[in-house]
Amino acid sequence: MIGAGGIKQFQRRWQQTMYVEAMFYAVGFGGLVYLLTHNLFYGIIGVAIAAVIAVFVLKPWNISSENAVAYIDAHLPQAGYSSGLLLSPAHELSNLSKLQQYLIAEQLQPVLSKLRPPHNLLRATLAMFGLILLGLAGSFILDKVESPLNATPSNKEQITFAPKDSLSATLKIPELTGTSITVEYPNYTKKAPLNTTDPNIKAVQGSRIVWNLKFEGRVKEVEMDLMGERISFTEKKTGYRLSKTLEASGFYSFTFKDADGNDYVSNLYSLEMVTDEPPMVQIEGLDNYSYFEFDDDKRLMLNTNISDDFGIADAYIVATVSRGSGESVKFREETLSFDNAIPKGEKLLQLKKQLDLDALKMEPGDELYFYVEALDQKAPSPNIARSETYFAVIRDTITDAFAVEGNLGVDLMPDYFRSQRQLIIDTEKLIADRPNISEKDFKFRSNELGFDQKQLRLKYGQFMGDETEMQAAPGQVSSTEEGDTEEHSGEEGEEDLLDGYSHKHDNENEHNLVEEHDHENEGQVEEEDPLHDYLHNHSDPEESTLFEKSLKAKLRDALNIMWDAELYLRLYEPEKSLPHQYDALKIIQDIKNSARIYVHRIGFDPPPIKEENRLSGDIEDITNFDKQEAYAYQMSFASTREAISRLEVLIKNESSFSDTDSALFVDAGNELAQKAISEPLKYLKVLQGLRDLEKAVNRTEENYRMVQKNLLSVLPQVDDNPMKKAKYQDEINLLYLKELYIYE
Amino acid sequence: MSDGVVFLNQHLLWPVVLIGLLLFVVFVWKEWSQRKERRFWVKFVAAFSAIVSLVMIVLKPSTHQEATRGKAIILTEGYRPAQLDSLTAIYKRIPMEEYTKGRTLSILEDADSLFLLGHGLVPFDLWQIQDKSVAFLGGKKVGGWTAISSNRNEAILGESLEINAKYSNPKIGHLAVLTDNGGNPLDSVPFEELGEQVVTFRTTPKVSGEFVYHLLVKNEDGVLSDEPLPLKVVAGEPLKVLLINTFPTFETKYLKNFLTERGHEVLARTQLTKGKYKFEYFNGASNPIYGFTSENLKDYDLLIIDTDSYTGLGRASKAAMEEIVESNGLGVFIQPNESLFRLGDSNSPFKFNRDFLTEITFGELEQTLQKYPFTFQEEVRTQEVLVDSAAVAAYVPVQMGKVGTTLLQNTYQLVLDGNEPLYAHIWTQILNSMAKEQQNVAEWSSITKYPRPDQPFEFELYTALNDLTVKTDEGEAISLLQDDLMTHKWTGTQYPRKTGWNQLQVSHDSIAPFSYFVYGRDQLQSITKSETLKANYRAFGKTSSFAASVSATKKELVPISPLWFYIVLLLCMGWLWLEPKLVD
Repeated sequence: MIGAGGIKQFQRRWQQTMYVEAMFYAVGFGGLVYLLTHNLFYGIIGVAIAAVIAVFVLKPWNISSENAVAYIDAHLPQAGYSSGLLLSPAHELSNLSKLQQYLIAEQLQPVLSKLRPPHNLLRATLAMFGLILLGLAGSFILDKVESPLNATPSNKEQITFAPKDSLSATLKIPELTGTSITVEYPNYTKKAPLNTTDPNIKAVQGSRIVWNLKFEGRVKEVEMDLMGERISFTEKKTGYRLSKTLEASGFYSFTFKDADGNDYVSNLYSLEMVTDEPPMVQIEGLDNYSYFEFDDDKRLMLNTNISDDFGIADAYIVATVSRGSGESVKFREETLSFDNAIPKGEKLLQLKKQLDLDALKMEPGDELYFYVEALDQKAPSPNIARSETYFAVIRDTITDAFAVEGNLGVDLMPDYFRSQRQLIIDTEKLIADRPNISEKDFKFRSNELGFDQKQLRLKYGQFMGDETEMQAAPGQVSSTEEGDTEEHSGEEGEEDLLDGYSHKHDNENEHNLVEEHDHENEGQVEEEDPLHDYLHNHSDPEESTLFEKSLKAKLRDALNIMWDAELYLRLYEPEKSLPHQYDALKIIQDIKNSARIYVHRIGFDPPPIKEENRLSGDIEDITNFDKQEAYAYQMSFASTREAISRLEVLIKNESSFSDTDSALFVDAGNELAQKAISEPLKYLKVLQGLRDLEKAVNRTEENYRMVQKNLLSVLPQVDDNPMKKAKYQDEINLLYLKELYIYE
Repeated sequence: MSDGVVFLNQHLLWPVVLIGLLLFVVFVWKEWSQRKERRFWVKFVAAFSAIVSLVMIVLKPSTHQEATRGKAIILTEGYRPAQLDSLTAIYKRIPMEEYTKGRTLSILEDADSLFLLGHGLVPFDLWQIQDKSVAFLGGKKVGGWTAISSNRNEAILGESLEINAKYSNPKIGHLAVLTDNGGNPLDSVPFEELGEQVVTFRTTPKVSGEFVYHLLVKNEDGVLSDEPLPLKVVAGEPLKVLLINTFPTFETKYLKNFLTERGHEVLARTQLTKGKYKFEYFNGASNPIYGFTSENLKDYDLLIIDTDSYTGLGRASKAAMEEIVESNGLGVFIQPNESLFRLGDSNSPFKFNRDFLTEITFGELEQTLQKYPFTFQEEVRTQEVLVDSAAVAAYVPVQMGKVGTTLLQNTYQLVLDGNEPLYAHIWTQILNSMAKEQQNVAEWSSITKYPRPDQPFEFELYTALNDLTVKTDEGEAISLLQDDLMTHKWTGTQYPRKTGWNQLQVSHDSIAPFSYFVYGRDQLQSITKSETLKANYRAFGKTSSFAASVSATKKELVPISPLWFYIVLLLCMGWLWLEPKLVD
């Protein structure tokens, strides 16, 4: 094994190169991690992980002596493709081989140590520097991005106190050494309590906030000033403590007194309450209205998405079935649960429910209204949200609407008569359809309409006593026959005929306004009284007494016009027929209106007034009525306005800050605080400025100016109010006005 | 010349003439013995001439003569060098002097025809050259603010204030901004490329007191100029209102609510039946009123009365009301109904035209309101009250007071519609225009518009009071000059020492102190320059040429040299002395 050592050495060198390469990658990655996180620990972990991965990827241990031999053979001509021999034990080799082995060992000796194993060290180095550069760039960008975002947290506000009045320098000011604020969110939010020192708090409604303040030096009466309300801290061993449940947004500050009774105030901090949003309910893939035929599969698939910011407590479907219509409508309400059980506290739920209308015992014509209601976990009263209302209707195919022919005050029309209006509509439709239908069809329909027109004419003809015409109506042959056999007037025959279709009330004497005229009896009387024929002859159309004279003439006109209408329909000229139909309709409407019966309404008839007693009542007992009232009116933001004026005086340095000023600024602050609740951020600066004026150090002209400016910027306009203005009336002016008046 | 002989010692005329006559008589008497001789008459004439000469020596007769002195140039701030060059080219070796504010011009000693170049002399120096012949040639154009005025002397809290300002040489892209005393912008106007632009700012003061608003000129880079705009904002006082109705209406009810809730003292009287009334006293009103007397009406600022009550007023009540309106300034607001528009001239101060419109629209939200289908007839005395540039009401001044009415009806509908601000706005405009104005005992006004420290500030005080002493902040008394025609007008001059607000106080308690704003030297320079320019134009007119017409004949009284009289006297006396010697 001469020269084997060289090969081994080469193999080792190769492996070492690979390890170094892996190390470069690892260091590069580690550097990237470190630069991004600025944390050495993460950097080291990054290095370790990257090293392991790189080593496993490169697998330096896989470099065997065979690899080394192959590489040497390929790269060193001196090896003569026989360097493998060097590794073989001498005793396994033939003599020639031994010779060759020896030769190669000799030749390789000087060159082998110079042969460099294949490597990607350059690439690895580049990768390392690349990663580090990337890290540098990344950290630079992150810095840039984060700095505005973290601006507030980075210089997190601390509670600072300043004495209210200027103090002698020798006095030892108690110092705040520790602040801890704990925000305990309500249980249902499942948020961990937050510990902070930043006194500007933003939390969910109902959160419990605990302030712990530690002081060095003796203090007393540590209080919180929450929008004018003063709440005392309780003294504990560890410091001062106050806990409060968050119910409204606002501002607060702390005050305390030192042993000498000097007041100290902190800055103003905001307390922002975030309300728990009600859940969002969405129903997917369902139209607001669904219609079902009776024989359909009456099932609705209800897919609901419910989401909430802190978790859903419950959700269900409220379904209402309405049955019937008009006054007889009935409602039935049911609460249905979803198919899947509702896990409490989930933030997002997908719920399904199949609504089977049959299971709800719905019948044709019934309507189902339903919506989904969801509750969240807010305590004590949960937020409730509901979806839109959806409708499902099973169509009722057998509904029949009872239509009354509107042309006359009496309802004598059986269903199968077309009214004049209907005829007009049909005629117009026929005209419109003409290009689309065959000639034969058109003529057929036109003829049909002509027949209907005739029917209608005959119907009205009855009122005129046109009995002969009735025979022409094929549908009523039997009735006319009946009329003939009974030797009654045509009209009476018609009455009988209609009995089958209309009930007893449906005649013009519905309300018994006229004495009931019993035709049956009349008929008998007729037989007994031979004179009857001469006195009341129904068979003569001209003597029909159903309508007064003018009406009769009108009806006759209508019938004549109907004749014409029918004529043109029969001639297949519906266009020409249409004007006649309209004329007929108009006359019939007139007749209808004149045939209405109006009921006189009976009202209150006052007793007649005695003229002589009028306006002579005794008013002695009536006295004057006195009422006294007072309203305290104050201009809106009066204190604020006054504060601005006062600040102007202070700016001009015409007088110095006094106790009344302090009270004025507190009043102004309270006025603005009312308004500030809705927009805390806009007002925080103003309120802070006002409060700062309580501290002696802040009473400078610049501060006055700043507070004044801020106050002016948030102050609303004065309400409109008429006011008395002062004016000097010059004698010349007065003279002028007087002259003006005289010579007017 | 003949018309121009004037005796300088006119007051001595008669005594001197008498003495002269006496002397003459004595002389004649002394020489009477020689009356038959010729020499008597010669002596007579000589003596007369001598005495006349003597008289003339004493009386100093003088004549108007053209004064002729030299020309000179006075250079003031803002003169154009080119103009000066052309002038010196025409008038070689013309003397000139540069003018400094407040200093006497020495050149005036020997020059009386002056070329005045530049913006001119400040008004308080004008006296120096008042009697000279001055050619005012003007100077460079003044750039910047050249005039600022406001629609009121004192702004009223909650009422709109309009400030008009003129800017010379504006540049496009620049912006004029009005800010309040804190520096919050209130209104702004962009400049256009014009020689001179008038900008109007509108704002409503929110706070009463003495403030200094600012007038800024800005471009994108920032503030170019910042000029102070002093503003005194005063708050009004609540009104005392008497409300008379024959029967209750919603209109009255809501108007009453509006007034009482805003703190006005209201006495509302509604008739219940014959002679019986419902009295409502709000915010401290007291004492029922049945018939009007000048005694019970004089405390009220505003009488709101419905048409039926107005027309149904008794003779005495009506007379009392009119008297109080005329002498005391009571405002009367007549609540209209249909019959008001049909009243004759004798009963109603208004005249109407029918316009058949029953609706009127206001505001950005297009709120419509019902109105009576009439408009006010335009008359000299009728003053319309505009709301959103629609005449909704009008009043007629009746000496000190006003009588007014409105065309609107059912305005309470606005309150029902929830548009209370518009309701308040309309009624505030209407009632403000009619309510009595409180009588001030005095009024101040400044004649010097832009006072500066250590420069005269002239002011006027109008008051009927006498024995006034005005004191400055420093406690020094200022004497006032009473106008001899208008005895109520007093003028005074003060030399303020500090910039900013200054006060003048009056010994009298009832007169409120007068606050005026003194501008710093570098504030509103342009406006002062333009004021100076205007004052000089007013004083000297405008001259555009350098012609010598400048030395307009300026006549002066020049006494006739007494030498002539002495010679005559000497000759005459010599003859009188010599003559006896010759005769002898």
